[in-house]
Amino acid sequence: MTNPPKTKADVLQGTLALMVLKTLDVLGPLHGYGIARRIEQISGDVLAVNQGTLYPVLLKLEQEGSISSEWGASENNRRARFYELTRAGRKQLQAEAQDWEQTAAIIARFFQLKKEDCT
Amino acid sequence: MKSLRRFFSRLFSFTRRRAQEARLREEIAGHIALQTEDNLRAGMPAVEARRQAFLKFGGVESIKEDFRAERGLVFVDNLIQDIRIAGRMLLKSPGLSALIVMTLALGVGVTTGTFSMLDALIFRPYPVPHPGNVVTLVSTTRNSSHEDFSYREFLDLRDKTGSYDGVIANSTMDAVSFAAEPHASPRVKGGMLVSGNYFRVLGVEPRIGRGFRDDEDQVPGRDAVVVLGPAFWKHEFAANPSVIGRTVRLNGTEFTVIGIAPESFPGMLIFGIPDFYMPLAMAGVFPTDPQKSFFEDRADRELAVRARIRPGVRQEQAQSELDVLARNFEREFPDLNRGRGAAIHTQFEMRTRDDDMNWKFGVIFVVLALSVLLVACTNVAGLLLSRARARTREIAVRLAIGAGRLRLIRLLLTESLILALLGGLAGAAIGYGIVAWFQTFQNVVLMTDLPVAIPFRMDTRALFVSLALSVMSAILCGMVPALQSSRTDLVNGLKAAEIDVPGRKRLWGRNALVVAQVATSLMLLTAAFLMMRGFEHGILDGIGFPKNNLLVTTFDPRLLQYNTTQTKQFYKLLLDRVRETPGIVNATLSQNVPLGEDDYTALSFVPDGFAMPPDHVNFKSAIDVVDEHYFPTIGIPILRGRGFSRTDTAESPRVAIVNQHFANHYWPHDDAVGKRIRLDNRSGEPIEIVGVAQTIKYQLTTERPMDFLYLPLAQHHVPRMTLLLRSTGDPLQMVPPVKEIVRTLDSNLPMLQTWSYEDFYVNKAIKGPGIAIKLVGAMGAIGLLLAVAGLYGVVAYNVSRRTREIGVRMAIGAGRADVLRLILGKGLALVGIGTAIGLLMGLAVERLMKSMIFDIAGVDVLVYALVVPLLLLVTTFAAYLPARRAARIAPTQALRYE
Repeated sequence: MTNPPKTKADVLQGTLALMVLKTLDVLGPLHGYGIARRIEQISGDVLAVNQGTLYPVLLKLEQEGSISSEWGASENNRRARFYELTRAGRKQLQAEAQDWEQTAAIIARFFQLKKEDCT
Repeated sequence: MKSLRRFFSRLFSFTRRRAQEARLREEIAGHIALQTEDNLRAGMPAVEARRQAFLKFGGVESIKEDFRAERGLVFVDNLIQDIRIAGRMLLKSPGLSALIVMTLALGVGVTTGTFSMLDALIFRPYPVPHPGNVVTLVSTTRNSSHEDFSYREFLDLRDKTGSYDGVIANSTMDAVSFAAEPHASPRVKGGMLVSGNYFRVLGVEPRIGRGFRDDEDQVPGRDAVVVLGPAFWKHEFAANPSVIGRTVRLNGTEFTVIGIAPESFPGMLIFGIPDFYMPLAMAGVFPTDPQKSFFEDRADRELAVRARIRPGVRQEQAQSELDVLARNFEREFPDLNRGRGAAIHTQFEMRTRDDDMNWKFGVIFVVLALSVLLVACTNVAGLLLSRARARTREIAVRLAIGAGRLRLIRLLLTESLILALLGGLAGAAIGYGIVAWFQTFQNVVLMTDLPVAIPFRMDTRALFVSLALSVMSAILCGMVPALQSSRTDLVNGLKAAEIDVPGRKRLWGRNALVVAQVATSLMLLTAAFLMMRGFEHGILDGIGFPKNNLLVTTFDPRLLQYNTTQTKQFYKLLLDRVRETPGIVNATLSQNVPLGEDDYTALSFVPDGFAMPPDHVNFKSAIDVVDEHYFPTIGIPILRGRGFSRTDTAESPRVAIVNQHFANHYWPHDDAVGKRIRLDNRSGEPIEIVGVAQTIKYQLTTERPMDFLYLPLAQHHVPRMTLLLRSTGDPLQMVPPVKEIVRTLDSNLPMLQTWSYEDFYVNKAIKGPGIAIKLVGAMGAIGLLLAVAGLYGVVAYNVSRRTREIGVRMAIGAGRADVLRLILGKGLALVGIGTAIGLLMGLAVERLMKSMIFDIAGVDVLVYALVVPLLLLVTTFAAYLPARRAARIAPTQALRYE
């Protein structure tokens, strides 16, 4: 089956990946639910609808080598997959964070733009 | 870099799909469990906590789908899924699937087998590099378009043309007596004289040793060198390379072995595989026309000439150059070359010339084989159509839950392709079987001492053609139903599966398929019966003389370099002693045996008192040279005049005996006895006709009556003669005494082609054609079988589709007979139309066959009187079975039927 058309969640995927990386950077190894909860807490309700979308992103990041995973025990003693930032992932995070800040700064400046600034 | 890494990772994970699915399932389960606990802690009731956890997670299946898309190679994944589903669908109706595979296999198998035959006879290129450049040059006259050239003419062709990268010549493969050691008794092998540039121009590198040098072909009789054929080298010298430089004795002369032809070069003939190649300059050692001088006589035309056309030279250019040369010949040698031209033919043109029997049979077989394939394809199309129809609802469901049209078509095509490949493989197996079956006829068809082989084999090209055919037919057959069903109206499709309003158009298509099948199978049956009747006709006619108790054996004293006097002396002594042998009623010498493998010599003549048509200088007739005992021994009646006698000697006036056809041809209102013919032209030497013999079969049992002329041996010396013995008992009992007589005359002289004439006749006239009859008969049977299956399928399908309607009809008063009539009538209408069309096709095939093979005039009514009722009977039965089932339907059940 071909990929479904892009939804809001898909558009967020790029930023979602960045959020995952940052979360793991700050909090260390976490399982999927932990990551989801953390992002949810920080981002408000952006991810409230579809926590599941996290998993394809995790897979993609793992395939790219930015994160690694292994089985471990969760707080309720269930088997859970724990994700951890790799060295490559840390580098990627730095690079993308920089990009993001730059972009954000530029966008921010555009929004501050007033008509008189352009004349 | 990143994407490459992802690709490899995907490739890797593709191989571990199951483990990854499990991991995802576990992760999701864990996720939901943790969320549920949190929800519980937040105070939700248990059920609600779990529900909310699921809601928050989102669509599990769609996440899984995303996960899979992220994970694997989507295309391959889908393909595997397609194949799996297709396989499951095919297994769901194993009977139908097997039927389709079998049908395809039969069609493809027959076609493949026939193609490998045709490949060997016509399409297989010469086994040399760039075979497409090799053309054949032929000498042409008004009467014949494919004659050989003489040695002198070959030299001119070689030296005075500029269109070729070399012009080569070879004699026909002929018997050669071979002895590895000087004192070993010679055995008969097959050898061929070739020009010195033969191997070089063809681009054939000897496997070991060397080919001929050009100067080895300059001086007659100087360079006694020989190149061995690879197969001969293997079984005669155990592939020993030290044979190079050894001497062997060919026809009593010592030859030095200089090279071995490579395995890849079995020679340029279709059937023959020469054991030796000798330079043309050694022609003196081998049998050539005794009345002419091979190296000097420009009319001694015994060489096949081929040439490698220079790249960039068009065939027309070469042809116009050849025309100029032929006109020069005509001017320089008006006596020998009047009205004689020359032509260039490609290999394909040579093999498809209109006097070639292989080609004629090939065309007929291929037409019939393709018909079988056509029937098979229409059958498969019909079966796939009815299945696609039965699956309307399934397809509608698939469409409804979101399958794309393209994906659906792909799925249906995958099914057809699986069927096609299975059918193709099975077909290839059947093809192999047919080829193997052909090969078992090696000794039946070719009764000769010469090294020959039936070259039929399943080569990669035939295999490729068969697989391509099956895949193509499956795509053609599968495409229509795939497109149609993917266009299914969803709502209707979901509502009612098989009792929808019949699409008139679609039914029309299925009916047309059945009509085509019936028609084609009728044509195939007709062809089979015609083939049988045609050969039978020839056999029942008889050949014109008694076949039993007749022994034939051939001698060629040229193999031992006998001169004319020695040869005559040998035959005289041989005949005298044989005639004294007890158990032998009569014995005679003849140049040819009726129906024999050797070509008859042709004689040019002008009949006295016959108005020559303006475009003819003379006529030609096949001749046989026989001694005075011929007619009584072989048993051909002399109808008028006399046979040859002792008084017809070299010194007496020249005489001839003609056959009745000849006599009626040239003197329709007059007695031919006493008339004269003149050799070559109006002022040629006169020959008086002294007798008229009954017309017999000369070349084939199926031939039409032909002109024939006998000349007395005493007035026409021929070195190679066949001894015919009429014995009192089993003719093979006479072989040892004859052998003994020959041994006392010359222990080195081999007896060639020794067999009982009846055996020979059975092989030639019954077993050989039997192959053709069986092949065509099998095609007819397969065609009929498939047509019956197709018809049965359509009628049965109609019945199941109309079950409810039948129930209604019966409920409101229709009787069983009415229902039977309703269903059967439809089937019979199809049979009727098919039969009518098939009759027309049959008549067309009859014309084709009779114009090509058989000499039978008019329409063979008996064949149609047999075939049509047979077809009607079988097809009616095929339609009757489901119709009877329909008539037995209980209306109460039928109305509830869904």
